[in-house]
Amino acid sequence: MPEKPGDLVQGTLDMLILKTLAVQPMHGYGVAVRLEQMSQGVFRLNAGSLFVAFQRLQRAGLIKSEWKSTENSRRAKYYALTDQGRKRLNSEKREWGKQVAAIARILEAS
Amino acid sequence: MSLLPTMFGGLRSLFRKQRVEKELDDELRGFLDMAAEEKMKQGMSRKEALRSVRLERGSLEVSREIVHTSGWESFVETCWQDLRVASRTLLKSPGFTVVAVLTLALGIGTNSAIFSVVDAILLRPLPYPEPDRLVRVWESSVKYDSPRNVVNPLNFLDWHDHAQSFESTAAISSLTTNLSRNGQLIAVQGMQVTTEFFSVLRVPPFLGRTFNSSDGIAGQDHSVILSYKLWRHQFGEDRTIIGQKIDVDGLPCEVIGIMPENFSFPKINAEVWTPLPLARTEEWRGGRFLVVAARLKPGVSIDQARQDMLRVADFTAKARPEYDKNWSASVYPMLGDATRGVSRPLWVLLASVGFLLLIACANVANLLLIRGTCRGREMAVRSALGAARSRIIQQLFVESLLLSATGMLVGLIFAHLGLRGLLALIPQSAPLPRSEPISIDGRVLLFTFFASLLTAILFGLVPALRISRVDLQNALKQGTLRGGGVGGHQTLRRCFVVAEVFLALLLSVGAGLMLRSFARLVAVDPGFNRQHLLTMHIWTAPSRYGDDLKRSQYFGRILSEIRNTPGVQSVGSTHFLPLTERVSGSCFSPADKPAPTPAESPTSQFLIISAGYFPAMGTAIQVGRDFEEHDNFSSPHVAIVNQAFVNHFFPGQNILGKQLQVCWKFKEPVEIVGIVSDARQAHLEDAPEPTIFLSNSQVPMYFATIVVRAAGDPDQIARSVEAAIHDVDPDQAVSDIKTMEAVFSDSVSSPRFQAILLLVFAGLAVTLAMIGVYGVVSYSVSERTHEIGIRVALGAASRDVVRLVLQEALILAGIAVCLGLAGSLALSRVLQKLLFEVTPTDPTTLASVCCAILIVSALAAILPARRAMRVDPMVALRYE
Repeated sequence: MPEKPGDLVQGTLDMLILKTLAVQPMHGYGVAVRLEQMSQGVFRLNAGSLFVAFQRLQRAGLIKSEWKSTENSRRAKYYALTDQGRKRLNSEKREWGKQVAAIARILEAS
Repeated sequence: MSLLPTMFGGLRSLFRKQRVEKELDDELRGFLDMAAEEKMKQGMSRKEALRSVRLERGSLEVSREIVHTSGWESFVETCWQDLRVASRTLLKSPGFTVVAVLTLALGIGTNSAIFSVVDAILLRPLPYPEPDRLVRVWESSVKYDSPRNVVNPLNFLDWHDHAQSFESTAAISSLTTNLSRNGQLIAVQGMQVTTEFFSVLRVPPFLGRTFNSSDGIAGQDHSVILSYKLWRHQFGEDRTIIGQKIDVDGLPCEVIGIMPENFSFPKINAEVWTPLPLARTEEWRGGRFLVVAARLKPGVSIDQARQDMLRVADFTAKARPEYDKNWSASVYPMLGDATRGVSRPLWVLLASVGFLLLIACANVANLLLIRGTCRGREMAVRSALGAARSRIIQQLFVESLLLSATGMLVGLIFAHLGLRGLLALIPQSAPLPRSEPISIDGRVLLFTFFASLLTAILFGLVPALRISRVDLQNALKQGTLRGGGVGGHQTLRRCFVVAEVFLALLLSVGAGLMLRSFARLVAVDPGFNRQHLLTMHIWTAPSRYGDDLKRSQYFGRILSEIRNTPGVQSVGSTHFLPLTERVSGSCFSPADKPAPTPAESPTSQFLIISAGYFPAMGTAIQVGRDFEEHDNFSSPHVAIVNQAFVNHFFPGQNILGKQLQVCWKFKEPVEIVGIVSDARQAHLEDAPEPTIFLSNSQVPMYFATIVVRAAGDPDQIARSVEAAIHDVDPDQAVSDIKTMEAVFSDSVSSPRFQAILLLVFAGLAVTLAMIGVYGVVSYSVSERTHEIGIRVALGAASRDVVRLVLQEALILAGIAVCLGLAGSLALSRVLQKLLFEVTPTDPTTLASVCCAILIVSALAAILPARRAMRVDPMVALRYE
């Protein structure tokens, strides 16, 4: 079971973050919790990897950020998908689907 | 990932570092707090929750570091840090830094200087649009195995009309031209060109127009184009000059254009261009004198052009077999063709400075290794504090980069000064084939930059790899200043020194050979006495002396006027002065047999001289007589031949009185009246050619070089001789007034240039290599102080100690000498073509260079040997 996102397939962390942010803008911790919930505890991200990914995605123009208040009236930086990010997510999803199907076919072949 | 936002993001965090860092901190803190709150909701205490979050999610500090180092800007930051550390470290050991920087500057500077010459002459495309399509076309002789001959006008016209590979072709004939305006007369280098010349080069004029096809019709060819330089100096940049008439060789010609300032044609430094009207007339049938330039059609390769020209030349050979049998045509790229003579010497020089740079690198690498040994403890401490090896290598490499960058800056100053000296070695009268300016420009700077980068890698990488390999345990345990663990560099250093001496030996052998070859060259007996000899060139205008008789009398009057000038011993004239690379040839045949066609007749060099030329030059007439007063325009034609002519064509025969038919000029035969000793003509290094001398009184040329033998200093009489010429005709321009010594000196300027530069480089190389030997031996003496102490204590005499030290130096030098000898033999082929009467494996040179290297190596070891001799056994032993 991969513990660190470094163990994730290269590049999948970015895709997962984009997917999480596709629903609504979120702050860093929100993304971490949501990923953990959705993966039923498989992906537990540490702060370093998560924020490196944010920095990378933001510099690539796939996400944008804004300081806002949380529901607990704490200030946090909220990340949201840009149009470019949404396009990227769709193309990555398609690509991923193809690859998974292909890998599955290879593994199932006897 | 797109580059631009990544860059902006990085730049933002570089320049707004504090703000970006604070934002990240806030964000991370928020993240960790939220995680902790979650835990506290489940009942943990705050302290417990924080601890558990740190374990699960990472601490604030570590996360910040991870995020921070993930962008490219953090690399820049560490480099900046390294650079600051490096400059502090280097400033702390100024001695080392100065030696290293100067060594590198020497290596880099010489490379930049030589590269700037190589680049300007050999590499840079010619300064015309699409220069790759420019070619030169020559006639090639199958019979004489010579691929590049000047071209016959009729052949050129056939090429022009029938060749299909060229967009345009032009024929060029260069000659001295007399210009006059407002009574002021000057002789300048001119080019007579067919009208397509400027469209071959595709250079538009600066002012006015270039030639159009009507300028090329005989009778309408009274137009002239001036160079920018001439226009500025002689006509004060007067724009209204266009359309005005000036006198060109005595004929009024309309100035139709001014060429741009930087316009030039390789090898011919012309200042005026006049049209060359060519027509298919009988007078052009014999004789070859044109240079042909052409522009290939787009997409036509040089090989296609060659095939095409073979076809066309085959046609001309069939059309005029009596002249063109066994003649064909050859095509060469213009740049390579123009720089043919200088490319090998220049590459050899560039290779030499390349060697010099390698030696400098090896020297600095050795210095770094020695320094590294002293820094063993520093390295150990760094790595004990957690520096990764790659980080230490990076730090050391940044130091090397800083050294080489400083070396580069100082080197550029060296290069600038060196280049000035270098260009001053090139005489005005024997210029480089291209006249574009040579300077340290952008291309040279780029080359220097990459050379320095490569240098840093060469000298920095191996020491960095070696020094960074720290054995922590030993280094810290021993605790000596040296810090063990990093010993064993001495073998590596010895290898570097052997390589240095090896390269220095190669350079010295090259320099030695060049020097010997140069000495042989200047010791050649040219067959004339060059002392006390003054020479000057005159060119008569066809418009004023077009009549042969009038012209021959004119030359006779000039010579007799000079002969009567005080201080003049004797005087004569020749149409081509010796050692100025100019020759003319003609076919001939014995008059007593039926004449073969010109293409099948033997050919000989010919010179048109005046009576008195041989006595003035100091060339002995062996048999028969000189030309005399009565050999004039109307008397029977006479000729003199040289010894080589007799030996080659009529060995062992008495040929005085023999009649020859000379194709070049005469209908009726000439009688041989004298035989003279051989003298060198075109080049000092070429053996004398068979030569027929004809009299200028019988076949007067339009130009002549007058040679005057002075009783004393030839420079003293220059003015009075010029005045004597002007007494005959005040409008006669006189140019190229030089002593024969100067002509001689200019003719050997190229080998002298090479020999001097190679000597300088070899001297620098040997010096650097000896510093290297000194360094290694000296270090090994200090390492062996203890051993030497024991030896002395056990009764070794100081002689033995000295032998011990010298032995090391000589073994290193010995290995290098063996390698160097093998290397010189391997490289001998490269130098072969540059040497005169010296084989590249010349045993004397090889032996003396090897001895010299061994001796200076021993000398380099003397200082350390003296130190070893003075080792006090008590002190040496107590030291441990």
